[in-house]
Amino acid sequence: MTVIDEAARTAREEPSSTAPLLSVRNLVQEYVTRGPGGVKAGVVHAVSDVSFDLMPGETLGVVGETGSGKSTLARAIIQVERPVSGEVVFQGQDLVTLDRRKLKATRARMQMVYQDPFGSLNPRWRIEDVVAEPLVGHTDLTKDERGARVDELLDLVGLDPRQYRRRRPMELSGGQAQRVAIARAIAPEPALIICDEAVSSLDVLIQAQVLNLFEKLRADLGLSYVFIAHDLATVKQVSDRVAVMHLGQLAEVGPAAEIYQAPKHPYTRALLGSVPVLDPATGAARRPVPLTGEPPSPLNPPSGCRFRTRCPIAQDVCAEVEPRPTPIGDGGRRVACHFPLGE
Amino acid sequence: MTTQDRMIDLASADDATAHDGGDEPAPVLTVQDLRVTFSRGGRTIRAVNGLNYQLRAGRTLAIIGESGSGKSVSVRALLGLLPPSAFVSGSARLGQTELVGLNEKAMRAIRGDEIAMVFQDPARSLNPTMNVGQQITEAIGMHQRLDKKAATDRAVELMKLVRLPAAERRFEEYPHQLSGGMRQRVMIAIALASDPKVLIADEATTALDVTTQAQIMELLADLQDRLGTSVIMISHDLGLAACYADEVLVMYGGKAVEQAPAATLFSHVRMPYTKALLGSIPQLTTPSHGLLSVIGGQPPDLASLPQGCAFRPRCPNASDQCLTEPALTEHEPGHRYACWHPVGAAGAGGSADGDRARVEEVS
Amino acid sequence: MAVTDASAATALAATETEPAETERGIRWARIRRRLLLWVPGGFVLLLFATCFLGPVVLPLPSPVGGDVLSSALPPGSPGHPLGTDINGNDVLSRLLHGGRASLIVGVSVNLIGLLVGGSIGAISAYLGGRPDTLIMRILDVFIAFPSLVLTIAIAQVLGPSLPNTILALTAFSIPAVARVSRSATFRVVNMPFVQAAELSGSPTWRILLRHIAPNIVPQMMNFAMLGMGMIIVTEGALSFLGLGIPPPAPSWGNMIFDGQQSLSAAPLMVLWPSLALLVTVLSFNLLGENARDEMSGR
Repeated sequence: MTVIDEAARTAREEPSSTAPLLSVRNLVQEYVTRGPGGVKAGVVHAVSDVSFDLMPGETLGVVGETGSGKSTLARAIIQVERPVSGEVVFQGQDLVTLDRRKLKATRARMQMVYQDPFGSLNPRWRIEDVVAEPLVGHTDLTKDERGARVDELLDLVGLDPRQYRRRRPMELSGGQAQRVAIARAIAPEPALIICDEAVSSLDVLIQAQVLNLFEKLRADLGLSYVFIAHDLATVKQVSDRVAVMHLGQLAEVGPAAEIYQAPKHPYTRALLGSVPVLDPATGAARRPVPLTGEPPSPLNPPSGCRFRTRCPIAQDVCAEVEPRPTPIGDGGRRVACHFPLGE
Repeated sequence: MTTQDRMIDLASADDATAHDGGDEPAPVLTVQDLRVTFSRGGRTIRAVNGLNYQLRAGRTLAIIGESGSGKSVSVRALLGLLPPSAFVSGSARLGQTELVGLNEKAMRAIRGDEIAMVFQDPARSLNPTMNVGQQITEAIGMHQRLDKKAATDRAVELMKLVRLPAAERRFEEYPHQLSGGMRQRVMIAIALASDPKVLIADEATTALDVTTQAQIMELLADLQDRLGTSVIMISHDLGLAACYADEVLVMYGGKAVEQAPAATLFSHVRMPYTKALLGSIPQLTTPSHGLLSVIGGQPPDLASLPQGCAFRPRCPNASDQCLTEPALTEHEPGHRYACWHPVGAAGAGGSADGDRARVEEVS
Repeated sequence: MAVTDASAATALAATETEPAETERGIRWARIRRRLLLWVPGGFVLLLFATCFLGPVVLPLPSPVGGDVLSSALPPGSPGHPLGTDINGNDVLSRLLHGGRASLIVGVSVNLIGLLVGGSIGAISAYLGGRPDTLIMRILDVFIAFPSLVLTIAIAQVLGPSLPNTILALTAFSIPAVARVSRSATFRVVNMPFVQAAELSGSPTWRILLRHIAPNIVPQMMNFAMLGMGMIIVTEGALSFLGLGIPPPAPSWGNMIFDGQQSLSAAPLMVLWPSLALLVTVLSFNLLGENARDEMSGR
């Protein structure tokens, strides 16, 4: 594996200040479910009191299973859905408090790439219009200037402009469509891109290409990512730090290598243990050790720690007191557990 | 004697008669030169181009491939689940019965009874308007003559067999009340209703969370041990195949390009395509921000397959010789592959490792 | 699950929708589809041409002010290919002029319905939440009325004339179109590309115009075509009740009205406009169904 030139990377990361690019504090998002007739039937606690920081040039991976709230978290950060409470401070501004007009001004600097490459492109538009759209919305470039920039962007993502400009999404493959989506996302020169399961729909070989593209753009353009995925290995591949979510709660957050080699939260360990491992060098395979029990319902999560019903080391206190993410060791590691592993 | 005991007895009874004298259990399904083509708008789509394999009793065969490799089409051909515009040729013998060209009536008797299938999306494969118990008893009733009480009992037994918690209560529940993992268990219960010889799992865990996937795979492995069912698992996940399959068949462009026992295939990869697959999977153990080894291009268009080896346009080892299609041959004992320039064969370098970043071609 | 091109999968999906099994069968199915589009389409064009250009081009007598002396002439009479009615007016001429009136009503109501109703529905769905609920409750009031009763009530108040007929009919077309447009928009508005457009800084009007509209147009066109038939028939009913186009100006509706009075004596008087109405509605319906598929590129 080729590692991006360390020197270049750290040089870009050496900002004048060490203020985080994105600072999320106590974010809460809830959905009201309604029964027949519109009667309120329950509340889904999709994101419960999540906090983390993202430094410039860093990639934060967010990993979790269905119902973990990771996609909801993405939408709450980017404000397409306003969170119930909490702060999202991006480049010094709390986005939650901004009105629509002021929010629009920040949009140029935070973009998103979605899971379904075809769903994120208007099927009736041509590629050149798709990629130019953020330029129309966020810049004052003339038509010709936009055209030149579109060519540049397509080139950056590995698509030959002459071949692809005039095409429509339905003429492209999944990988090509996702590249177009990425070109559009980098068009307004954002500082942060949120990737919501951006490679999950792609075939393995294409996935590898797109992951490499993310890395290349990160190095060339100094981007930061919040990379959301359910696949642990994919997240590890691209992230500096990883946050593990379970049923709306942050279980653990810290440097990627540490989390994967020495998980402190029982859920993280269970997740890692559930992955079938194949060593491509030796062909050795290791069967996963399944977790017992069914995932709890997000409508009715267990009291206290939401993982306790499946946790092998749960005690009484886990049902009574909700564990908060507390720092452990140094290096910015936090675990939300009363009995962190290895302590 | 409970139904479960009976089933285990049956399994061991089957085992006793199933061996053909050697160490290998007898084959339950033999596929020879299976081909499937579709005609669409003047073009012929060659979805499956000559597949050969044998599935032995109590063993698991993994068919690995990406989209468009023909893996799903090939198993649907076995069950007669393809649209009328599909043309199937070749042979697929299940015991004494030839499945290719079998009329619908006979096929219906076999489907669910001797071969059953579990699909990818349990949400869409279960009828949302029937409770799960009814769906299982319906499956039971299709092949067995049991009165209502006996069928219900058997259904509950099956639900317990697939480890559905609180089986009696769950009987009355509807699919939307169950989680994805539980629905998939119901699908497996339906599939096992008549104790089939062969169970086909078509991407059965792809849509599930990784923790649920681990549970379901463990369940399938356990059921295989108890019931002696042979399993064909269709997947794109090499890790899964390595952990659960006895034999692995890699498909590309509608053909088998590499076929070997799991242990051999992954430790001695020969086909450049398989090696590329292995190399492009992110690993839990590698450092962050590494680049994956990639190969450019796209899977072939099944309506216009390239001349010779289908992988030639993308293969790093390709040469002019590859314009002649290599045949799937057993170059090493138990290990078949179709390649003129295999990786690591004859002392050329050992096993698969993906450590070269290649120039990207867009796909 | 992978989304990349899977020829086998697409073949599977595609062949499941067409019953054709052989090469020839597939070709024939395609021809049939083309025919189903161009025959009714061609007929509709012919219809418009005949009704609008016919009276200008052909030497037809005026549809009104006929000579009582030449009343109730049978078809085939010299100068009157379809005969005359009891007032001595040339039937063919009345048929064509009546067609013109009916088609004008149909097209106008549809246009107004599409523009106004379509916009209301799309905007309502896009805004969502409370504004959507409010708009929908208002529309519900209109939809709750039996459409014909509403139209009759309005026509009664306004009085019979061509513009008033159009106005009355829009009262029932707009809410119906709004509903369809709203549900079509909902399907589009949740797609990631709309969200991406917002992130790209596109203002609401541009999103509605360039993202939402192009993706709901095929469905709306289909609805419009199907609605065309319904509108012309309703206009006919209004005229039949004396509330639509006022006599002596012809419309298919009032021709049927007049004709029914002399049904036993001259049954053909009812037949011609009824036949014309039938064929027109059929053509629009067929056109609508097939045009939508073509437009969506299926």
